[in-house]
Amino acid sequence: MEIIKALSIGALFGIGLYQLLRRNVIRSAIGLVIISNAVNLFLLSIGAYDGVVEAYAKAVGQRSDALPQALILTAIVISLGGFAFVLALLYVIAARYRTGDSDEVKGLSH
Amino acid sequence: MMPSLLAILPIIIPLTAAAIALLLRRNFRLQAAWAFGAMLTAFGASAYLLWTVWSTGRPVVYQMGRWPAPFGISITADLLSATMAVMVQLVFVFGFIYALGAKDKAVHHSTFYPLFLCLVTGLTGGMLTGDVFNLFVMVELIVISGTVLTAMSDDRYGPEAAYKYFLISTVASFCLLFGVGCLYMSYGTLNMADLAARIAADQTPALLPAAIVFLAVTFMIKSAVVPFHFWQPDFHTASPTPVSAMLSSVVVKIGVYGFLRLTTLLMPHADWLRTLLIALGIVGIVFGGLGAAGTHNAKRMFAYSTLAQIGFIHVGVGWGTPLSLTAAIVFTFNHALIKSTLLMLSGYLASRAPVKTASFGVLRGTGKYAPLAGVLFFVGGMALAGIPPTNGFISKLTLFQSGIQAAQSGSVNGTLTYWVPLLLLGLSSIITLVYVFRALMKIWWEPFKPDVPVGKVKSSGDSLLAPSLMIATCIALGVWAQPLLQLSQDTSEWIRQPQAYVQAVLGERTGWLK
Repeated sequence: MEIIKALSIGALFGIGLYQLLRRNVIRSAIGLVIISNAVNLFLLSIGAYDGVVEAYAKAVGQRSDALPQALILTAIVISLGGFAFVLALLYVIAARYRTGDSDEVKGLSH
Repeated sequence: MMPSLLAILPIIIPLTAAAIALLLRRNFRLQAAWAFGAMLTAFGASAYLLWTVWSTGRPVVYQMGRWPAPFGISITADLLSATMAVMVQLVFVFGFIYALGAKDKAVHHSTFYPLFLCLVTGLTGGMLTGDVFNLFVMVELIVISGTVLTAMSDDRYGPEAAYKYFLISTVASFCLLFGVGCLYMSYGTLNMADLAARIAADQTPALLPAAIVFLAVTFMIKSAVVPFHFWQPDFHTASPTPVSAMLSSVVVKIGVYGFLRLTTLLMPHADWLRTLLIALGIVGIVFGGLGAAGTHNAKRMFAYSTLAQIGFIHVGVGWGTPLSLTAAIVFTFNHALIKSTLLMLSGYLASRAPVKTASFGVLRGTGKYAPLAGVLFFVGGMALAGIPPTNGFISKLTLFQSGIQAAQSGSVNGTLTYWVPLLLLGLSSIITLVYVFRALMKIWWEPFKPDVPVGKVKSSGDSLLAPSLMIATCIALGVWAQPLLQLSQDTSEWIRQPQAYVQAVLGERTGWLK
């Protein structure tokens, strides 16, 4: 189970980074969303390690730690707000520069 | 009032005020007055907090919701946090004064003051919090309010700059979150004091180096250390003047604060991190100085100059001797004041210029119509280069002194660690003078002959009250430097004793954790 989780986190990171580095501005925003999900999945997995002694309780059994889930919830809410805003921002950029290619969005480079 | 409640006041006042200011959006004057009043109150609270911490000699700790220390969020105001909070809020008070007298359209938008208050909340909260996840939340608050404030700028490239910043800063935030996750996985706690105690006891977890690297990358992006700086000049050029003055002076200091904590509290023995800071600081000093000397825009010039000045601070943090930490803190405080003044002056000139831009092509010769700004710009430039009697001189003097002292103490690799950086620091101070004088000559000495016939210089612009007050503060801190030096010296003594911090947060429960 761990290996599947680890591989999927790695794959999500890879896809996210690849998309983030693409020239299309929408793709780069999507890359951010995917990376945020990779981080959230990582946080989920740190609280749900089977058989490892939990943070403070030292309880026997296979319960998972609830705190990372609270962290994920906070992170999701924060990134939701950020992404909603950035999509609006991308709309403005696309309308103003008439392109979605980040190489063409370079008004500040001179 | 419980004395511990004092630690949360500098955060809670601007946050609540931001929410209420949003309700006052229909009446702009009332909203502005309310926001300014709240800012002054918050500054009063943080100054009183600093005074309490300094005079009693003990950190003020507030456990949120009365949860005992390692479980809840501990707002921990030790001397470093309190000093940084006072620095942030002092500069923000001046930023508010400038915003009240500014003519930008963005500043008169009904969401400007709530967002500005959110920005100061995020910064103060990030510096006062004693919980690494809470630090992430506060950093995100800074990112989002900073992005929105820049996107609504009068500059038509505002959205572009905001997007660049958001993309890079969000990656930094995810790095921070990943680092927090690694730390939680290794030690099962998010409390900084608890983490410090556990890291000191056991450094074997496999994810500890990963966590430290992720945290270091985050703080490097936040403080615009050179290979991570590409967002910074664009972002600081395009934002509205009061905002860019804050961004380039205090918002980058969250990274400096992070490194001060990382190298003293969490990883006091990570020598590789210090060496890395010295190396990147030096690269930043040279690169920032040369970049500033080659720009065509006054605001952009000061944004590049921030890269260099942050480099100075990182070299101080990297040396890590008592005196050099003192120097880093003095430098942080003084740079915040100087850099925001200079950016405000550039913004003032832009507001007077025929076309609203700080580009030298438009500003050339317009200084003739702004003599007071010229005097202030001259004094501010001297402060940036470190010429007495300004506070910039004090910070550079302390830094050089600390370097020479450490070099003479006969450490290994003394030449490479101390003398080479010192030489480059000296050289870059000369570069600072070069670019400041280049700007002065272009704006005040050359005749007013715009490249294109764009019209006349406007008869009035933004208010010069805030920059004048700040220059007065800069000179006062240069002439009467003793209190700030003493404060920084005490702070550097405090942060070299992490066990006092741990004790203050965890109290007698330290034994219980074993």
